[in-house]
Amino acid sequence: MIEIKGLAKSFAYDKKEAKKKKNKVVTDPREGDGVFHAVRDVTFSCDKGKVLGLLGPNGAGKTTTLRMLSTALEPTEGEILINGHDVTKEPRYAQKLIGFLSGKTGLYHRLTVRENVEYFGRMHGLSKQVMDERIDKIFTMLDMHTFAGKRADDLSTGMMQRASIARAVIHDPKVLVFDEPTTGLDVISAKTVLDFIESYKETEMSVIFSTHHLHEVERLCDDVCLIDLGETKFFGSTQEFAAQTSSGNLYDAFLSNVNKKEEVA
Amino acid sequence: MWLVYKKELLEILRDKKTLIFSILLPTIIFPVLFFGIGKFTQSKTEEAETKELKVAFVNAAAFEGLSTLFTAEKHFKKVEISSSDYKEEILEDNVDFIIEVPEGTTLPSDSRKQEVINLYYKGSSKLDNISSKRVKDIIEAYNNTERLALGARFNLSTDNIKAFNKPIAVENQNFASERERMGEFAGPLIAYILIALAVSGAMYPALELGVGEKERGTLETLLLTPMTKGKIVMAKFGVIFTASFFTVIVTLLSYFIWTYIFTMGGKMGGLDFLSNISGLDLLLVAVLLVPLTSIFASIMLSASIYAKNMKEAQAYMSPIFMLGFMPVIVAFVPGMELNVKTAMIPITNVALAMKDLVKGTVDYGMIMVLLASTVVIAGALLYFTTQFFKKEKVLFRS
Repeated sequence: MIEIKGLAKSFAYDKKEAKKKKNKVVTDPREGDGVFHAVRDVTFSCDKGKVLGLLGPNGAGKTTTLRMLSTALEPTEGEILINGHDVTKEPRYAQKLIGFLSGKTGLYHRLTVRENVEYFGRMHGLSKQVMDERIDKIFTMLDMHTFAGKRADDLSTGMMQRASIARAVIHDPKVLVFDEPTTGLDVISAKTVLDFIESYKETEMSVIFSTHHLHEVERLCDDVCLIDLGETKFFGSTQEFAAQTSSGNLYDAFLSNVNKKEEVA
Repeated sequence: MWLVYKKELLEILRDKKTLIFSILLPTIIFPVLFFGIGKFTQSKTEEAETKELKVAFVNAAAFEGLSTLFTAEKHFKKVEISSSDYKEEILEDNVDFIIEVPEGTTLPSDSRKQEVINLYYKGSSKLDNISSKRVKDIIEAYNNTERLALGARFNLSTDNIKAFNKPIAVENQNFASERERMGEFAGPLIAYILIALAVSGAMYPALELGVGEKERGTLETLLLTPMTKGKIVMAKFGVIFTASFFTVIVTLLSYFIWTYIFTMGGKMGGLDFLSNISGLDLLLVAVLLVPLTSIFASIMLSASIYAKNMKEAQAYMSPIFMLGFMPVIVAFVPGMELNVKTAMIPITNVALAMKDLVKGTVDYGMIMVLLASTVVIAGALLYFTTQFFKKEKVLFRS
């Protein structure tokens, strides 16, 4: 189970940026004195076996939140717990439990698919025997055996995305974090990713899924957390989220929750 | 076509980093560099022109007035030598020049005769040439005086005297070895090439392993593994260092092979001095490149990690390249030599040491001093790179 409570992250402006901001009238609540509060107050949780959709406009703070969850960034305030373990205090514990996939494939183009996956497996300390078993299982599940020996730069987008998934789950993570994984993908490649996430719904995994595509949320997510201007605007079930407006659809619910004027490109 | 040209130009002009690093910086750096080099060269030339030269005479009594002409001149000191081993006297710095008049030689009494005197010295650099020219100028002055005296004896005009032989011809006996003289020119070139290879060998992997990882999206996935950032950056540094060092070592090996072909097989004159460079000296050249390569690997990796994209990283590489070569160029200014002070200047010290190693005039003690100072700088830069890599602001700069 993942619990995120009152999470905040601020970045100090560099001198040039601070000078630019000095004489400007502040309209964005995230702009502080010499700092930018990218995430101000984010709270949500995700139980085992659930998929949580992380929504929000561009620049809302989704990626920063996910980077804190995956230990790449250190929170300024707040708490992130995975199975009761504080991520900031035990980053190695969290890193072993988390699998991360973004829109960028995160593959080394001059390595073969198998070499890519093995590399990350080794980074997670898997033994050869465990690795071989895991690779066989994942490659079968994602139908990857036919191109396992191909270099990543020779793969089609769909193959590359499957290889990325394999890379993200090689260490058998208990928490899967997807940061806009279907952005820029064609319909077939996107389907591969969505099918994969769906297949994990039956397991004991917690899945955090950040996306702009509300039809994907409708299909996959049990719960929704909507972030805008760095804070949680809504957290609850997908049904509750949709029920917020009379139309009962996610698009209207999304638009009614975000500050359209302050949307950041 | 003009539409595209204007748009591309507009974009480049609006790219401040490209403007600063590719245009503004060179326009400032080069004038400063050339002015500095010019001033330094001028001061060194003046120093060589006024430096007190110790001159010893052997059998000079045969040429009356010759030694007096030297002592009458400013900045010349007549010294006595105790041994007949001229080379040893000069190499031990007891004397700068020895003018030897061969036994039985007398001043020519008519214009058809010419006597040869030997001028012993040790010189390979441009500044040494200034010193030997000063000595030869005085001998020339003595020649003119003697020719005038000869002309006066026959009531000849000054114009007619010009047709007379010079009474004394100078035979140069330079104790600087072939290796030293050729090394004076080849040393800087070899050092320049090796340092250029070290820098260019580091550049491509640095771009690939820093900003390349950011662009591919692999950096983020790498940071989410249990491997510490310190270990990741050290591994990256190791690869850049290996690539750069390998480039240089391969070049050195090819140098060995070509030297063999040219000097043994091909019997190519002029390159014989290369075969005189000992294995130890070549090994030291390679050793010197270890901290030097580390310095460039650290700087380039830091710049590459800091850059948001490949274009920005490449904009940083050009000034690094230029700033890296400034100390190399400085090292080859006449008069720059490896001493305790210059041994503390990174890059310059390595270039100076390489030149001396090629020339065969290196002070091995000084090599230890420069190695110590360069290792400290390389270590500090590597530490900076590891700390830099841990900064969120750098890794996720946007």
